[in-house]
Amino acid sequence: MHLPTPGELLYVLLLISIVLVVIVVLRPGVTNSREGKMLAFLAFLILPVLCMFWGASEHIDRSKQTQFCLSCHVMEAYGKSLYVDDPSYVPAAHFQNHRIPVDEACYTCHTDYAMYGSFRAKMQGLQHIYVQYLGTIPNPVRLYTPYNNRECLHCHLGARSFESNPIHVALLDSIKSNQTSCITSGCHDTVHNVANQKNVKFWSPAQ
Amino acid sequence: MIIEATGIARSLRVPGILLILGLAIEFLSLLWAKPLAFILFAFVGGALFLAGIFLYLYSLIAPRS
Repeated sequence: MHLPTPGELLYVLLLISIVLVVIVVLRPGVTNSREGKMLAFLAFLILPVLCMFWGASEHIDRSKQTQFCLSCHVMEAYGKSLYVDDPSYVPAAHFQNHRIPVDEACYTCHTDYAMYGSFRAKMQGLQHIYVQYLGTIPNPVRLYTPYNNRECLHCHLGARSFESNPIHVALLDSIKSNQTSCITSGCHDTVHNVANQKNVKFWSPAQ
Repeated sequence: MIIEATGIARSLRVPGILLILGLAIEFLSLLWAKPLAFILFAFVGGALFLAGIFLYLYSLIAPRS
């Protein structure tokens, strides 16, 4: 049995809201009765506010999707880098082996795992849209701030594969304080590497 | 009764149209998983929603002529 998704339920709620508002607008006489006034209150206030908050939540959820991030032309090469057939490419190895949620790949590594990190990611997303349509896209695209090890440690800290590595153990304090960067200190330094994309092989998933 | 109904009709028509447009824009924006859809929802749809709700609430407290 197919259970409706929250998105499908929202479509139904939106249609019901539109129908109720149309009824009240076309037949305003219904508001003469007490029940009609309650109907108008539901149609003009309660349902629109519910739709607005639910819609915002749905849009925010969608903005975490890999497909959403890659819908801008400038991100195409970064999306392609997730399919590089070389395990030394950190994002490709994480994406292809499902070490991160495939549907939320960009968001998982590029959100900020601190208080209000998700909110900050949304604000930066608005800035990206501004730059995409009204500004000048930098070439190459760069992060606003150096990549914080906190985002790596969010998953790796405490993991057996991470903690059984003597180099990680020896450098743990330095890694935690960002004195030693995971990706720019010569250890895991092949990240998206889009400039070198012409010379690499790509993996094709079975499906 | 007719005069009262006409007054209510006028006061509900504009917020009603704004809300219908806002709801329709939200519906359309949800069909499209792209950053511009979010902008459409948040700024265009949101403005129509807020204007519609504000005018509806104002119509409840405004003196009728």
